[in-house]
Amino acid sequence: MRRRFWVVALIAAFALIAAACGGTATTTTEATTTTAATTTTAGPGTTEATTTTEAMGPKTIIIGTTDTIASLDPADAYATRDWELIKNTGEGLYKWAPGSASDLQPGLATDFPVVSDDGLTYTVTLKDGIKFGDGTDLTAQIYADSINRLLTIGPDCPNGVANALATPYLDSVEATDDHTLVFHLKQAASYFLQILATAPYVPADPNIFPADACVLFPDAPVYGVGPWIITQYTQQEQVVLEPNPYYAGDFKPQVDQIIVKYYSDPQTMALALQNGEIDIAWRFLGSELVQQLESVQDVTVGTINGGSIRYLILNHTMAPFDDDNVRKAVASIIDRNEIADQVFSGQVTPLYSQVPPGFLGANEAFDTAYQSPNMTSAQQYLTDAGYSTSSPLELDLYYPPEHYGTTTADWMQVIKQELESTGMINVTLNSVEWSTYVTALTGGEAYSAGVLGWFFDYPDPSNYLEPFVYNGGEGTNVTKAAEGNAFGVGIDQKSQQLVDLLSQAATETDQTKRADLYGQAQDLYADLVVTLPLFFEPEHVVYASYIHGDAMYDSADSLNIGPTIEFNYSILTTDK
Amino acid sequence: MSPLSLIFLIIGGPAALGLVYIFVRGSAGLRRYIVTRIALTLPMVFILASLVFFVLRVIPGDPVSSALGPKGSPETVARLSEQLGLGDPLLVQYGRFLGSVVTLDFGNSLTGAHRPIVDEMSERFPATLELVIPAAILSLAIGIFGGAFAASRRRRTADYSLRLYSVIIYSLPIFWLGLMLQLLFGVKLGWLPIAGRVDAVIGTTLHHITNIYSIDAILTGNWPALRSVLAHLVLPTLTLGLILSGVFVRLTRINVIETLQQDYVEAARARGIRERVVIYNHALKNAMIPVITLIGLQVAILLAGAVLTETVFSWPGMGRYLVERISSRDYTAVQSVITMFALFVALISLAVDILYSLVDPRVRY
Repeated sequence: MRRRFWVVALIAAFALIAAACGGTATTTTEATTTTAATTTTAGPGTTEATTTTEAMGPKTIIIGTTDTIASLDPADAYATRDWELIKNTGEGLYKWAPGSASDLQPGLATDFPVVSDDGLTYTVTLKDGIKFGDGTDLTAQIYADSINRLLTIGPDCPNGVANALATPYLDSVEATDDHTLVFHLKQAASYFLQILATAPYVPADPNIFPADACVLFPDAPVYGVGPWIITQYTQQEQVVLEPNPYYAGDFKPQVDQIIVKYYSDPQTMALALQNGEIDIAWRFLGSELVQQLESVQDVTVGTINGGSIRYLILNHTMAPFDDDNVRKAVASIIDRNEIADQVFSGQVTPLYSQVPPGFLGANEAFDTAYQSPNMTSAQQYLTDAGYSTSSPLELDLYYPPEHYGTTTADWMQVIKQELESTGMINVTLNSVEWSTYVTALTGGEAYSAGVLGWFFDYPDPSNYLEPFVYNGGEGTNVTKAAEGNAFGVGIDQKSQQLVDLLSQAATETDQTKRADLYGQAQDLYADLVVTLPLFFEPEHVVYASYIHGDAMYDSADSLNIGPTIEFNYSILTTDK
Repeated sequence: MSPLSLIFLIIGGPAALGLVYIFVRGSAGLRRYIVTRIALTLPMVFILASLVFFVLRVIPGDPVSSALGPKGSPETVARLSEQLGLGDPLLVQYGRFLGSVVTLDFGNSLTGAHRPIVDEMSERFPATLELVIPAAILSLAIGIFGGAFAASRRRRTADYSLRLYSVIIYSLPIFWLGLMLQLLFGVKLGWLPIAGRVDAVIGTTLHHITNIYSIDAILTGNWPALRSVLAHLVLPTLTLGLILSGVFVRLTRINVIETLQQDYVEAARARGIRERVVIYNHALKNAMIPVITLIGLQVAILLAGAVLTETVFSWPGMGRYLVERISSRDYTAVQSVITMFALFVALISLAVDILYSLVDPRVRY
């Protein structure tokens, strides 16, 4: 009797494992049929398309990511993945053409704005017939309310986007009729159109996002006026998007479902792509994993020369970097090519200005000024600062071991070796966990030098220069914050000169003159060594060969993800 | 009713009934023991929670700067800190925390989605349970039967093999074993999924009731989802279960060997009882006391092991949640999770102590 029990138990266990292991193909088919029913319910107006879909099963594309979602509220969200979702479920007055960071086009607006002579008033006309995902019309008043919500409750939302992209620029927005919006700016900003293309300026549905509270994660469905609706999301697992039946824009979805699936570890995400569990791996795969995946059959690696940069923060108010000569010595020593080749096998690009190549007015100011590596100059600067081989400079360099990828320790080691090769500097590397690190570094009181990364909010040189100069300078302390003056007060004459140049460039509307002003600002920035740019890192999207972008637009090889790092899900098609 | 409450009801209900039954039917000594243990658990949790509270405030870093990174201006950091109550005196914050522990309403998390922690635990705790329970069963099954089998084949090939297995498996890093299993059964053979709790597409059809997906699939009759959930469970369960089985193999083996030398075992053999019955019915039961003690201790190790397993398999459980929140200095979330873990471990430990008296009638309290 007992033996029979064990035999039955064993068979049951095997049956369970066999069912678990063997059912993948059948399971998918059954489940996709069920999903088709869900899609039908969610998408009024799509009956014809759904009938065909139901017979074949809906077309689904699964995108793997290691990015967590912090907020879906346009008045709050300030992370790349959040913006990606907001821009796929919504649309701004202006938008970048897929794959481009130079072609800004009207989105919800009929045309480009009419700007007043003083640059303080922008008048925009809304297109007709724009609807939210529940069929409600978008009027100019609803749009104005949405932006005024950003200005009023936005500053109190936890992710702080309003303080960076709204309140410094915008005073108010009013709707003068059903289609006309008037933006009143606090100060002229020639790049305001680019700011209007960012996610905080995507209109929020008042039924989902009330005027008096931030709603980071409203109940699904979450929609705007864009091509997709978030129909489901499970924290730390996945977000499901389905087509918005009321969307009348240019980018209608080509598939029935997009699922964004979360992975805690890039390695696991890479394996999941190879195992066919996801179709696309998008953010973040480190350079080592990308190299591995390049050799995998039926997988394509797309490279995006985005604007993610790495640089050294040097605190101008702390020894030893309060001395011009020390900053210039370090700028003369660093060999960016060695870092790129030794650590990244050439997958990153050396950076000779805080403004990456391709941006308005970008130059190579650091190369012109220091021609690094230039040991003779470096030794001269160090001698002028009072250091010698017998009395070397003792330097503490700080870095976070994980936040910018596990290679950080490797390239910090290269920097240490380069600095010590002068014989006049001893470097101590300090690895500090991110939370402690960022608090201390940007606080500007604990570390004299450290590493940070930066990614733009809008593709304009101002966004690569101003944050390091004004308002205390993100740990550089080249300015002191001053009430009523966003740029602050320079700590010395040259810093003040830089502040004035940036201020002038921000209000200049002539693009040629702006480029020239930013060129001058970069030269001065390099002379001051406000920060020390090191390299800029491309992003990678890795996808199965049956996934395609649209060859009509730029960057089809990277699924039309261009330097703005915007991923338009509507462009995606699949042969699967 | 939230999934967390439902789980507490499902697990805690029968456990509480069992406790009441034992309390009523047990000896006066056992009753006294249970009351004392429960009374001791409360200060233990209080001390631990207080320690965590103060240690978190002593270490550098804060949740607001950590979340905003270099893009957070000093004004924004100051204002958000004020809003989150981080500018209040430490004792005020401590009082608020103790109040939240007593009411089991831990407030909102300070980073991430800023959602109620109870809601976040409702999603994460069931995921950990779904992983840890089968892993514990697997490790016990391999450990106890493997250990008894090794003891019955003492100094033979099977014994040496199992002893070697137990040493090797115990010394393997969890993440390495997980990665190897992923490469073999996922990438190479394509038999099993590599990560997550359920297939992405099938997951859209799963109705969440308890957030233990296998139970939810059964309750809603969603059999494709059940198959997918079970398939996703295999590799993480194997990883965690195998790693922990090594120590049980060794402990069971040595205890069974000792028990087999007892007089009553010789007497059983002399009466002609079959060797298999002697080992598995007589010796094994009596060798279980130290193993049960170890089960109690292993609960904490199981939860610690779950942290790594959850990371390797992108399993959205409590372990990963804790690590993420420690990194972002989410004080309230970390305090709450550790308090919950402490309660959980203390209750398991109490259950194990009570089990002694059931397994071995000689044990008296």
